[in-house]
Amino acid sequence: MSDTVTLHLQTANGQIPTQPPTQTRRWRALGWVLAPWALPTALFALWWLGCERGWIAPQILPPPARVYATFVDLGQSGDLLHNTLISLQRVLCGFVAGTLGGLLLGTALGLSRTFEAYVLPSFNAIVQIPVLGWLPFLLLLVGVGEPLKYILIAHAALVPATLSTLQGFRNVPVTLVEASRVFGYTRWQRIVHVVLPCAVPTLATGVRLAFTKAWLALVVVELVASSEGLGYLIVYGRQLFQLDLVMAAVVIVGAIGFAINRALDALERRLRRGLPSAFR
Amino acid sequence: MARFTQTFFWRNAAPRCDCELNREPAKKRKLPDLRGFVLPALAFAIWWAVSTIHGGKGGLLVTPEQVWHTTWQQVTSGALTKALGASLAREASGFAIGSVLGLALGLSLGLSRLATRMIGPSFDTFKQISLFAWIPLISVWFGLGDAAKVVFLSLAALLPVAAHTCDGIHAVPRSYVEAARVFRYTRWQLVWHVILPAALPSVFTGLYLALIYSWLATLGAEYLLVAGSGIGNTLIDGSENFRMDLVLFGIVVVGVTGSLLGRLARAAERAVLERRGGASVKESV
Amino acid sequence: MTSVIAEGVEIDRVSKHYATLPVLDSVSLRIRAGEFVSVLGASGCGKSTLLRLIAGLDTDYSGEIRVAGERVRDTSLQRGIIFQDHRLFPWLTAAQNVLAALRNAPLSLAKKRRAVAEHIALVGLEGFENAYPHELSGGMAQRVAIARGLVNRPRVLLLDEPFGALDAQNRGRLQNELQRIWQHERLTMVLVTHDVDEAIYLGDRVVTMAPRPGRIERIADVDLPRPRERTDPRYVALRDELLAGFGQSSTVQP
Repeated sequence: MSDTVTLHLQTANGQIPTQPPTQTRRWRALGWVLAPWALPTALFALWWLGCERGWIAPQILPPPARVYATFVDLGQSGDLLHNTLISLQRVLCGFVAGTLGGLLLGTALGLSRTFEAYVLPSFNAIVQIPVLGWLPFLLLLVGVGEPLKYILIAHAALVPATLSTLQGFRNVPVTLVEASRVFGYTRWQRIVHVVLPCAVPTLATGVRLAFTKAWLALVVVELVASSEGLGYLIVYGRQLFQLDLVMAAVVIVGAIGFAINRALDALERRLRRGLPSAFR
Repeated sequence: MARFTQTFFWRNAAPRCDCELNREPAKKRKLPDLRGFVLPALAFAIWWAVSTIHGGKGGLLVTPEQVWHTTWQQVTSGALTKALGASLAREASGFAIGSVLGLALGLSLGLSRLATRMIGPSFDTFKQISLFAWIPLISVWFGLGDAAKVVFLSLAALLPVAAHTCDGIHAVPRSYVEAARVFRYTRWQLVWHVILPAALPSVFTGLYLALIYSWLATLGAEYLLVAGSGIGNTLIDGSENFRMDLVLFGIVVVGVTGSLLGRLARAAERAVLERRGGASVKESV
Repeated sequence: MTSVIAEGVEIDRVSKHYATLPVLDSVSLRIRAGEFVSVLGASGCGKSTLLRLIAGLDTDYSGEIRVAGERVRDTSLQRGIIFQDHRLFPWLTAAQNVLAALRNAPLSLAKKRRAVAEHIALVGLEGFENAYPHELSGGMAQRVAIARGLVNRPRVLLLDEPFGALDAQNRGRLQNELQRIWQHERLTMVLVTHDVDEAIYLGDRVVTMAPRPGRIERIADVDLPRPRERTDPRYVALRDELLAGFGQSSTVQP
């Protein structure tokens, strides 16, 4: 058995893969950072130009300046704040009520197989009917007032919250349950110390989903049957052919939904950080 | 205690050995669990009792017989076929157009990093805006009739398909791409033979969601763009004319249709993907 | 089956950095045609990286790698590589997976199908051609991967810890399979492993690499007849020697 040591200690001198000069790389990096703004800027420019040159009639698409002026108007007259607050109040109340209800219901379904056997089939059947389907029914029952909005929004939030909670309970890995058995945990201890922590990430997703649905439901119900709120602003503007009002309201709806969604997303990610992604 | 822990025990996987194929054990048939019917039966009984006692003299408290009568009338007079047919036709068109456009958009976003960088953020932001908020604008540009509805439905279908297609393509594991490199696949071969099949489950998830969302959008569009006929119009008419029986009938139709559409989508997905080792569509709302 | 034309691999002063971290430091090695070389080392010694460079999956390094006298610039059907994860396409059956490797081979479809059948038989999986990867056990899937790596009749076959994910039984079985295939096909094989036993059992030479920076520490000839007896004293002595390089010995001090 021979030993052959073959170490070459000469310095490496093959070719080094070519890199573009630093200047070009800097430009490219800048381009990369700015790229997402290219499309919106181009669209905006087109919009502005189109109105300026009269290619687009103001009834079809008001010029950006007018939309901005409407924005300012709404802000200054307090209309914006007033309607936004109304919408927010509705969605938050409904969302909280629905989510809490969903958490409770989901927990009951998850913990008790008996309860689940009696209730889940009916729940699944009700889930098949979309929130929009309930709208005419509720219109007849409670009329066009605040209860209509609250009930619909709460229902919209309750369904995903319940399903997510139930899934969270069901998805606890068998391995952890077995481990807790080995440690002699009582049922209550197991629920509190094993099942709940495992279920938290799924619950967090469920809460975020519930808000998305609640927000959607809010917009719809305000579009269909409301005399106040952001959705109402949209409809009002539409009926008066004041598209600048419509667009302003749509932007605000989008912005608020976006902001709250982001916040909940960040919260969800924080809650998920403790557990590996296999625990979805 | 034992019963509680029992609920969390799944079937034990048989140890894998090299000597046989790893197939899942056949599911045993269980007796149907009738307890789920208790609650609806109870609710129905209460409804029937209360409404019959109340006399069923119009108003909101309709009796089951009235609802049944209305149902029968709607079905036999062809009104149901007409309304549901119109809604489904619109949904099918919207779904088809939206899916095709969504696939195209998703493919270009998925395959080109530059496109993702340029269009992706705008697309994400656009997705966040509640879809129904666009209806009034769409009604200005396209009127209140079928055209506007189909535009809206296409939009509702386009968003999930594009998003999931793009995500699916981005999620293709690098290991597959490397394997294809070793086989000297051209870029076209790589896309067609590796990336697209690998992304297919995600594409199906997008299509499934598109079907669901376009159905919801159909209803919403019919509430807000009232010209024309459809099951949503039936519902709104019912509520405007204080006909609870019509509304209840409509609700059942909507629920059943939505459920059937969902099953159809899942069955289609299973048919295509099952051989590969499982579908990916989640049941969550 | 016509025998494969094996080729030698020349690694000439190859160095590679990830940012400021040196991954390989002036590695040189000459592998003879038809030889089986085991590259042994702990994690982080750059052995997998070296394999990827030979395969042509990565071209960002200084130095040269030549196969059959030609510089390696990109991947090639002449250099097959088998990874630790089988990387079978889940939407294709076993046979289709092997066929997928032949997509760009200059053969007629009939010849391709014959090659697929031959190689499935070679790895002992007749009857499982139409099974999907998720239906196969780990060992079987890896065998399909080996068939897929061989079907292009590469001159050099690179194996990156191919049995690392398998249990001991399967590992032993597949080591024997690989040895049988090598003796039959006589192509050049480069096996990367952290298992000293596997390295000695299969290799003509064992190249030991050390980490930080990745470099060749020693090269040992394995001058034993095949199939190797794991109880042969020379085998045991060599294993002890190599393990000692890792700071371990197979004899336990009382």
